[in-house]
Amino acid sequence: MKKKSYAKVFCGLLAASLVLTACGGNSGSNTNTNNGGSTNTPATTNAQTEGATEDKKDPVTISIAYATGDPATKQAIETTIDAFTDAYPHVTIKNISETTSDSYLDWLKTKEAVGEFPDLVEMRDTKVFADAGKLAELPEELHSLFTFLPEYGGKFYNAPLTGNTPNGIIYSKKAYADAGVTELPKTYDEFIAVQEKLAASGISPIVVGGKDLFHMGFWVNYFLINNVYNTDQDWNSKRTAQTASFTDAAPVQAITDYKELFSKYVDKGWLSTGDNQTASMLVTGKAAQLYSGPWMFGQISEADPSFEFGFYAIPNRDGSVIVNGLPTLAGWSLSADASKDAAKVEAITEFIKFFFDAEQYSPYLATVNGIPTTVAEVSYETGEQMQEVLRLMADSSVKKSMMINQWYGENAIPPQFRNWFYKLLQELVVSDGDVMEYMKQADAEYDSNVKANLQ
Amino acid sequence: MNAANSGMKKKQWWRNYAIWFILPAFLLYTTFVMVPTFSSIYLSFTSWDGISDNIRYIGLENFKEIWNSPRVHNALTNTIIVAVALVLLENIVALVLAILVDQVRWFKNLFRSIFYFPVLMSGIIMGFIWMIILNYNFGVVNQVLDMIGLSAIKTDWLGNPDYALLSIILSTVWKAAGYYMIIYLAGLQGIPQELLEAASIDGAGKWKQFIHVTFPLLAGATTVCVMLSMINSLKLFDQIAVMTNGGPGFATETLTYIIYRVAFGEGRQGFGTALAIVLFILILIISLIQIRLLRKREVQM
Repeated sequence: MKKKSYAKVFCGLLAASLVLTACGGNSGSNTNTNNGGSTNTPATTNAQTEGATEDKKDPVTISIAYATGDPATKQAIETTIDAFTDAYPHVTIKNISETTSDSYLDWLKTKEAVGEFPDLVEMRDTKVFADAGKLAELPEELHSLFTFLPEYGGKFYNAPLTGNTPNGIIYSKKAYADAGVTELPKTYDEFIAVQEKLAASGISPIVVGGKDLFHMGFWVNYFLINNVYNTDQDWNSKRTAQTASFTDAAPVQAITDYKELFSKYVDKGWLSTGDNQTASMLVTGKAAQLYSGPWMFGQISEADPSFEFGFYAIPNRDGSVIVNGLPTLAGWSLSADASKDAAKVEAITEFIKFFFDAEQYSPYLATVNGIPTTVAEVSYETGEQMQEVLRLMADSSVKKSMMINQWYGENAIPPQFRNWFYKLLQELVVSDGDVMEYMKQADAEYDSNVKANLQ
Repeated sequence: MNAANSGMKKKQWWRNYAIWFILPAFLLYTTFVMVPTFSSIYLSFTSWDGISDNIRYIGLENFKEIWNSPRVHNALTNTIIVAVALVLLENIVALVLAILVDQVRWFKNLFRSIFYFPVLMSGIIMGFIWMIILNYNFGVVNQVLDMIGLSAIKTDWLGNPDYALLSIILSTVWKAAGYYMIIYLAGLQGIPQELLEAASIDGAGKWKQFIHVTFPLLAGATTVCVMLSMINSLKLFDQIAVMTNGGPGFATETLTYIIYRVAFGEGRQGFGTALAIVLFILILIISLIQIRLLRKREVQM
């Protein structure tokens, strides 16, 4: 009989705890026990009767998400989150970021579809989410922290994490020395000559992380910026209005150069190489150069501290240098749902202030080799490569531009076009297609995307 | 009670216990399967982007676009190639394995378990591991080819459009064949030995025995296996998403993959739902045809 009553009690407890964990799960408390939940509630009710100062002790949970594609940035943000949780123990930060090989936008949309849109989110596609009413404006008190806040539709949705950094060639000094390259190229044709020398010396000149579509964007946009956007910053709006076409001379030249470079000088396994493998390809000597941005410096140094590398921006045919460096609509954003909860808004404001405070921001910038966006002066030790980056950004003779999908306002492209376009360009190289034919396809797809978005 | 009830059974159906036992399952199925399916059919006529609250009805525009889009045609072609190849290869490999495992004398259970293990693996894990194995620079396959001197046939297995689909098909066959092997094995156990002995007495060699006795009697197992492998191959997604992301270019995109890419990745839930409806109809038609054809072959023992 005793056994039976024990069994009954046990089953009853099991059933009760199952039900309670289902309820408790939503609050996301780290304690993960029912006891933890029940001790918190008396404290909250007490706090509310005590007044404003006690409100700070209310446990509040905010969910955060950011793009984890780049290991250096991921690590830097995690460090800041940990430091924040130590400094503000009443705030629990639920990190729902996941590492996927998919684009960040796809992942965010999936999260939104299952009702898990984060409270504090690293936003890179502000237009899409702002139009759907998913984002709230940044709290007023944060506006004064930054030198430049990108604006969309008259509102400020983003707290920029770093200034936009230019892409350039990260090259192995040893590979250059072995191939007999003594001078950095001053024009695009000299750059191609360098590639010939490298190929002749037996090493793969360029490694491309083609498996990750965002990586394709680095090269594609180099060609687009240097051929299309350098002469016409409003080309996108003209393409949307159908007064310009992909089959015009400038885009065709851009894509022809791209195809030539990829067919001859890119490592043969580029389509199955992930972006996170490119650093190891460089340091193990399997490739000589990587076209990417300053966030790679940390990764490369970590992979091999003794590896000597340099950085430079690839010049245009006429010798001028144009880099992607204009500020874009990206940064930390508040979700509309979170903005309705005052405790969450306060916690998020605290987090953002903490993030951009020099004590955290300086090591963050050092890890990702970023350009500060704050009014307050933040400096950090920079390596030789980063000094080149900062020189480029500060040099007024170096023109600044943006990637095809970063333009906003009238110049915004249909969001679904970018990934399709990069895939098309992959196919162009792989199947050795005719550039004109493919550009006509690009036109057709662009028009149908614009039309579909208007429906 | 029963005599009274049978007279007015129709009016008092709610007294029948069977109804009550079925009811919970029926309710759950209706709520979680039927209702979403019907609301999907409605969604496929809209241009919902999956995020905003505004759902605009646009009639047959989605279906017209599907009819005209070269990307969908390419995906459809790939889907059919994958389906046919997978069904054929999976069933042939499974049948061969079943026969071998049936006839081996030592370590019977070991072999049966080993061939079944890949089935238990998640498609995503399998995709990641095969992706590393097939990597052009660091992968085992290319390194082995280098070591045995066959560097000439080294290629980017997942990055070369000619081989990407083939690599996905072969690795999926490796994963799934064990499952069908078990079914064929059960079918083989059901074949009476006397028939095979009679056939060999009549002078039939091993191959003829197989064609004329074993294979026809496996008709039941064949129906099941072909049906299941056809449906699973039409739904194939994990491996494609992980190994190639539909690439290189569009070479390995199938219908399920572009439903995911379009509906979630490009913010066009309405269009994606329309594609899903098209896929559903495709699977329905293929399955019905298959069942008709295969059922005819079956023999009641």
